[in-house]
Amino acid sequence: MEPEVVRAEMVLAPTLPFKKVQTADKYPKGQSRGRQWKHLRHLLQAADASSMPPDRPNYLNIQSSPSIYPPKRYCDVTGFEDIKADSYASELNISMQAPYVDPRTKLRYADPEVFKQIRMLPDEYVQRYLALRNAAVILR
Amino acid sequence: MSSVTRPRREADFARFPSSTPIVIDNGASTFRIGWAGETEPRAAFRNVVQRPRHRSTGETVSIVGDTDPALMKYFDCTRSAVRSPFDDDVVYQFEYMEYILDYGFDRLGANSEVGHPILMTECECNPSFSRARMAELLFETYGVPSIAFGIDNAFSYKYNQKLGNCGEDGLAISCEHGTCHVVPFLKGQPVLGACCRTNVGGFHITDFLRQLLSLKYPYHTANFTWEKAEELKKEHCYIALDYMSELQIFKNNKEEAEEKTRYWQLPWVPPPKEEPPSEEELARKAALKEKAGQRLREMAAAKRSQKIVELEKQLSYLEELMDQLDEADESEATAILSRSGYLSQQEIKSAISKATQSLRKAKGETNGNEEKAEVSAADKYPLVSVPDEELTPDQLKEKKKQILLKTTTEGKLRAKQKRAEEEALREKLEEQRRAENPELYLEELRARYSELSEKFEQRKRQKVNGGQTNGNHGSSGGVGRGERLNAAQKERMRLLASAAFDRGKGEDTFGMRDEDWLVYNKMSKDNDDDGNDDDESELVRIASKLQEIDPTFVSKSEAVQLTPEPPKVRPLTAEDYRIAIGIERFRCPEVLFQPGMIGIDQAGIDEMVSISLRRLMEDESVKQRLCQSILVTGGSSLFPGMIPRLESGIRQYRPYRSPLKLVRAADPIIDAWRGAAAFAASSKFAKQTFSLADYREHGENLFHRYNIVYSL
Repeated sequence: MEPEVVRAEMVLAPTLPFKKVQTADKYPKGQSRGRQWKHLRHLLQAADASSMPPDRPNYLNIQSSPSIYPPKRYCDVTGFEDIKADSYASELNISMQAPYVDPRTKLRYADPEVFKQIRMLPDEYVQRYLALRNAAVILR
Repeated sequence: MSSVTRPRREADFARFPSSTPIVIDNGASTFRIGWAGETEPRAAFRNVVQRPRHRSTGETVSIVGDTDPALMKYFDCTRSAVRSPFDDDVVYQFEYMEYILDYGFDRLGANSEVGHPILMTECECNPSFSRARMAELLFETYGVPSIAFGIDNAFSYKYNQKLGNCGEDGLAISCEHGTCHVVPFLKGQPVLGACCRTNVGGFHITDFLRQLLSLKYPYHTANFTWEKAEELKKEHCYIALDYMSELQIFKNNKEEAEEKTRYWQLPWVPPPKEEPPSEEELARKAALKEKAGQRLREMAAAKRSQKIVELEKQLSYLEELMDQLDEADESEATAILSRSGYLSQQEIKSAISKATQSLRKAKGETNGNEEKAEVSAADKYPLVSVPDEELTPDQLKEKKKQILLKTTTEGKLRAKQKRAEEEALREKLEEQRRAENPELYLEELRARYSELSEKFEQRKRQKVNGGQTNGNHGSSGGVGRGERLNAAQKERMRLLASAAFDRGKGEDTFGMRDEDWLVYNKMSKDNDDDGNDDDESELVRIASKLQEIDPTFVSKSEAVQLTPEPPKVRPLTAEDYRIAIGIERFRCPEVLFQPGMIGIDQAGIDEMVSISLRRLMEDESVKQRLCQSILVTGGSSLFPGMIPRLESGIRQYRPYRSPLKLVRAADPIIDAWRGAAAFAASSKFAKQTFSLADYREHGENLFHRYNIVYSL
């Protein structure tokens, strides 16, 4: 090990005095362990149903419900809402008509200039903008 | 850049009696560990692990926490990403949890078994499998005698209650790394049934910022690391009091938007500017060029004279040979011939004539090209001038051939001359026209250019038919449909299909006639019609003329090519290296209030308060009491403008003019640990823990009902 790495104490020592079972023994080298760990949602699904009576709070119960307000639509590229919004409407916090959606790429835009930019974007960027909104097309 | 500090190893582990609990705040962003009763955690580091490969030894090592980029060059990080044991706010990857606990205990100074009770924080309603595995890990790997689990937000609330910031009944709004929670407290205890959680947090804000910036500045994607984005977020992001009006400011009002925009200048070295060379420079360069040219010419002349000398030598040798042959008789002649390598006299004669030709050519170059042309013409067509009667039949054929050659070359020369004359004439005319009326001339040229380019474009479009736009079809259906709609394309498809059609029995007579192969011409996509050539050449000519005289002219072809590529093909200037963070400053933290912006279909934190109060199912007086002591805690609540916005948001859901009081926690980041340490130091702590024996007895069922009682 290089001296400065040792001095910085970056690396975890392979054996530690306070452990009863060392990591190397517990997770032997060579086995791919990435797939052993199930994702949280699988674990939650697999959790025992009998242990979770409906009246008691559990992890899934306390999740908040979807918002009762309709989602505001913002332009994907610039973040603005709408061209014509005037101050009266914004004071009342009414959302004016939603901005337009490009039928080919499904991106939202607020201005004709932004539309030109959108049409010039290569496909990869289109998918990335949509992924920001969780609306990308995922092919599995 | 930020300096990365890693915690030191504490040395006083042995000083603490084995009844002193160790307090661990196991958060999704940071892991804090320390002793009960103290005010600051002993070690705090980012709750992440990476497992790179050490370059020189080749072994895979584990590194916990933030790393110094200077030292990371010793490690190969291509196959190791930064991993966290958390998913949202639940621990599910216990291998990484083990590495982190290793490091935590190590920093605390443990050198023998960790024989202290442990108080560990968790999220609200932590699933029992997570608790069970954590307990298993602590008991069996570290030899811990007893454990207690508590909710971090509750500890923070109790700590602030002691400080007087909030009352016994109240509400805790906590914005953490992966989630946001709203927990109501009644009689000092959290009401878990009325708790509310949304899965957006500081992590999502940073990620949103990072994606937006790297999409806006695709050239600098490498600079937008997650750590850098986090830094930018902490320094520059704020929460707008009224999101809509902030948007309007940025859209309409230039000066105010400018004030609010922050710029980050990346290092940029301008390319060395070339100054226009001065007079002496030019003169010097010209002189150098002259000298170089002179040198070249001398060398060429030397080479040529050398070649002449050689040729003359060869010629003389050959002529000598001829003389020898003429003089000698049969047998000697054959001997001489075999020695010299030529098969017959004819060969020698032809060699001689060739040598003389090349000699004359070499000499002729020094005299000028016209002579050479004449000489070579005379040489090439020797038989033409000779009258027919004197020639043999072979020579007649030769003569015919030579006549043909001569006429064709002369015709070509004449055509070239005529074209040159025409060009010259046209040029003169145009110059005249230009001299008379430059503006009109320019207009005419421009009109002609646009006309021609239109025609050109149309023809190209017809042939290719949206090949450019087809590239952007991508996600929408009907890929390939665009290719078949055009009439020309239909024809092409028909030809292809008929050509590929296998007629089965009977001979395939394709190719018997020469005209059959012309079908391929029609099928090919890049077929250039003959008619295009003239137009094309005229287009090019006009373009070049326009470029000379018109300063504002931009060739259409250049403009067209830009469309499918990503923008900014021109050379980058300092402007491009300046990252502007304007609207993102308040757009990113807005995700906390409108998770729909990133596609998460849940309520924002102001609405969560109303959901939580509704779930509480108490009457109005209780709700009012709760709303008068609202605590805002958690690392992600440190954005400037959070409290006023929360207040205005919550007020929307409360009756008109009901009292609201929001207080920020004394230290939103460390208060959870402090509260936990205070709790662990109290006398009631020992009753709240469970030991290995309890765990063995009840197993996982222990956790279904396990909840500690929070005391001040």
